[in-house]
Amino acid sequence: MRLNPDHFWTYSEWLFQQGALFNGVLLAMILSVLGFLFGYIVSVFKHGPSEGFLKVSQIIGQLFTVDLPKMSARRIYAVAKLAVKESIRKKVLVLVGIFVVGMMFAGWYLDPNAEYPARLYISFVLTATTYLVLLMALFISCFSIPADIKSRTIYTITTKPVRPLELFLGRVFGFTAIGTFVLAIMGLLSYIFVVRGLDHDHEVVSLDPTGRSGETSFDTRHRHTFTLNAEGRGTTNEVKGHRHIVTKVGDKAVVGGPIDDLTARIPIYARGLSFTGRDGEKNEGYNVGYMSEYQKYIEGDSLSRAVWRFEGVDKTLFKDVILYDLTISAFRTYKGDIVTPVGGLIHFRSTDGRVKSEDEPFKVKEFQVDRRSVRTKLKGFIEDKPADLDFFNDIAADGSFEVVIRCQDRGQYLGMAAADIYLRPADLQFWWNFVKGYISIWLQMFIVICFGTMFSTFLSGPVAVIATVAALILGFFGFFVDDLVKNTSKGGGPIESLIRLPTQMGSQIELELGNEKLQSAIFMLDRGLVTAVSRLKDAVPNFSQLDTSNFVAYGYNIFGGLLGRHLTIAFCYFVLTALVSYFFLKTREMAA
Amino acid sequence: MATSTDLENRPSTYDNDPTKTIVETRNLGKVYRDFWGRKKVQALKSLDLEVRRGEIFGLLGPNGSGKSTTIKLMLGLLFPTQGRVFVFGKEATDVSKNERIGYLPEESYLYKFLNAEETLDFYGRLFDMPADVRRERIEKLIKMVKLEHARRRQLKEYSKGMTRRIGLAQALINEPEFLVLDEPTTGLDPLGTRDMKDLILRLRDEGKTILMCSHQLADVQDVCDRVAILHQGELKELGRVDSLLKIQDLTEIHASGLSEDTKRQIRDIIEKSGGKVDRMDNPTTTMEDLFLEIVKESEQRPGRRGGRGGN
Ligand SMILES: Nc1ncnc2c1ncn2[C@@H]1O[C@H](COP(=O)(O)OP(=O)(O)OP(=O)(O)O)[C@@H](O)[C@H]1O
Ligand SMILES: [Mg+2]
Repeated sequence: MRLNPDHFWTYSEWLFQQGALFNGVLLAMILSVLGFLFGYIVSVFKHGPSEGFLKVSQIIGQLFTVDLPKMSARRIYAVAKLAVKESIRKKVLVLVGIFVVGMMFAGWYLDPNAEYPARLYISFVLTATTYLVLLMALFISCFSIPADIKSRTIYTITTKPVRPLELFLGRVFGFTAIGTFVLAIMGLLSYIFVVRGLDHDHEVVSLDPTGRSGETSFDTRHRHTFTLNAEGRGTTNEVKGHRHIVTKVGDKAVVGGPIDDLTARIPIYARGLSFTGRDGEKNEGYNVGYMSEYQKYIEGDSLSRAVWRFEGVDKTLFKDVILYDLTISAFRTYKGDIVTPVGGLIHFRSTDGRVKSEDEPFKVKEFQVDRRSVRTKLKGFIEDKPADLDFFNDIAADGSFEVVIRCQDRGQYLGMAAADIYLRPADLQFWWNFVKGYISIWLQMFIVICFGTMFSTFLSGPVAVIATVAALILGFFGFFVDDLVKNTSKGGGPIESLIRLPTQMGSQIELELGNEKLQSAIFMLDRGLVTAVSRLKDAVPNFSQLDTSNFVAYGYNIFGGLLGRHLTIAFCYFVLTALVSYFFLKTREMAA
Repeated sequence: MATSTDLENRPSTYDNDPTKTIVETRNLGKVYRDFWGRKKVQALKSLDLEVRRGEIFGLLGPNGSGKSTTIKLMLGLLFPTQGRVFVFGKEATDVSKNERIGYLPEESYLYKFLNAEETLDFYGRLFDMPADVRRERIEKLIKMVKLEHARRRQLKEYSKGMTRRIGLAQALINEPEFLVLDEPTTGLDPLGTRDMKDLILRLRDEGKTILMCSHQLADVQDVCDRVAILHQGELKELGRVDSLLKIQDLTEIHASGLSEDTKRQIRDIIEKSGGKVDRMDNPTTTMEDLFLEIVKESEQRPGRRGGRGGN
């Protein structure tokens, strides 16, 4: 899993700097206009142009004058309770049983040779839960109102003083309640499954005569080696994504349970990565022209450097050592000695470059996280004079500092991206991160329920299912729309293209209409249309963006800001679907 | 000249005098359309009627004549395609009027997986009634419809008559001023029918207004104060039950103590207004006869009959 810069925006950054609020308001305006137009057109067909306008305005007016103010919590509760009973009657709890059986079989099928069993186990439970719960949410929400209409029980509901929004809210809350219950059980079972599934221990099979290092037994298809310090404490090496603590008791060493496989790192990322070229000039990093554009490269044995800039790092998060993880890859222009990894040097320096630490060599661990550390009391240079430094007093006085990496081997390249180095303050509890992963699933479930219920207010059950799924697929492909928007520079927007097509004007030639005003009007309209379309794609949720299961599986803390964003997004969909449902329920003839 | 829309748009008579009218339909019509907006059935044609406070109003008509359609229009379950309906002086689509209405649908459209208590509790909550009020009403209603023995059984286990009775209880949960009963006696045995009729009369005596439709003409005759007879969506007859059933140009005499001789001469004697007349009145027909007559007549020549029942 690669973390992207957008993963660690804070909530307010996302809302204000990244334009989420602006885009949201824009989308709301576009949708309101479209919604009004749609309502008006439908109404004109039924009532004629002037009466139609009156009807639409009335419905909007009533939302604020009566339908919102006269809502009653008791009615919503009654509808919600009924929705819960209905779901239980539909035997949704059987799902929990299916889940348990599924986990039992999964225990046999999950690959025991996996490189990272924790990732496999966590991904499995989270994915299985997501699919089951979303499916459940889809079906209970899409079939409820249509079933009421079909069985005509809706007659006895809408002839009571029940308001359209109460019908929607009650249903959504009821389904969410039952979904929450199912999710909670699944979450608990999953947690036990993961922890128990990964738990194992080893015996010490050989301890060298000094009693300082040794090897463990071969259990669950792997073994570890370990070294102990003078006090007889130490850890094993990392195999399959975990280590064990080893302690000496008497003249024997005892191996504890696995650690580090279930964790929630709180990475602190750099704010920027910059490069210098082989002659010390600023550049964008070298492109070795292979695989991805994700990483950029520096050249070995030259002035080429990669510099990460950290800002506002809170020193209270660290005691006397700063842990950091490094993921660097190497690109070899010659094979050389393939077993000797490519080497580099790393040092830390203040943002003005006056203070820097000593260079520390490292070897590239391909495809593995290199867990490193630097002591807060360290040796270095102040204006090139050797000095004893304190990290947070001298190098990062205001919490800002830079990390500099260069490659030692001539002709070889080191590749890195902004997220390839991060500081690791003390990890958070895994279980809490696991819960947050489930909150993400909960949010997805909630959105599915909102959309399912919305579609069921005007479509039959099966069609509502299809519509909801279609909306999710559309959301998933939303990024294609972004692509489309970016590419409109060539040949112009939709209207310009419409002109170009029949006139067979190539996309390279400037549009010449001979009328400047017309031309700029077309250009403006195109811009507006394209913006509208690109915003409209946000009207359907993109679940691939809401999915945080990889965070849990790869042991990264799900940042509060990220969860906050998802929460906000879910709330917006809730409001959107509530409004749409209001209009459909309000205008629908229940007995027709 | 006042156009029909002007007439439709004048304020409802309820606003003038809330003590008189509960429901008012004006030129009310309903066309069922299919998805594409094509006309399927004209279920109701320009209906004008009023339901007055405190009366039992009966809607009669053969199957498919538009009775249920009329009721659904009044309840806002359907929207008129022509004309308007006012209930308590408000448009039928206004939700707040439902506070004062009780509705028993043609079939009991209730949640089969709830038991009697849960059902009433659910509908009570929909009226935003606090828990203690709900508890008290539920007790009272369950006793009233005689379902004490089955109060904790799921409705799917109920017989037709029991379902009908829980449906009625549900319609009364809010102590409505106006009660709409779509065929209240279907599925009830003679005893149950008698109970239902007594109940309807009792509710009327308590001051409630009742609109019911039924095929059980005898029931309508027994309880209704006024009736409207619909046929193929058209109003055929509207008036007081007693005057509708009066046959104006006939005289009925109940006499006793007459010998065979006098019987032979009875015509003469009556002409000379002699003899002892026990009772002299217009004979009444039964509802059934009237109904059949109207339907037959209407099939021969469509349109409203020359009215004979006074309002
Ligand atoms: N939802 C509907 N869609 C289309 N046509 C309908 C619908 N409901 C009723 N109709 C038609 O409207 C007409 C009137 O029906 P309505 O249910 O009002 O009759 P009714 O008088 O209540 O009959 P019954 O005594 O059988 O209950 C019928 O021709 C019926 O087929
Ligand atoms: Mg192990």
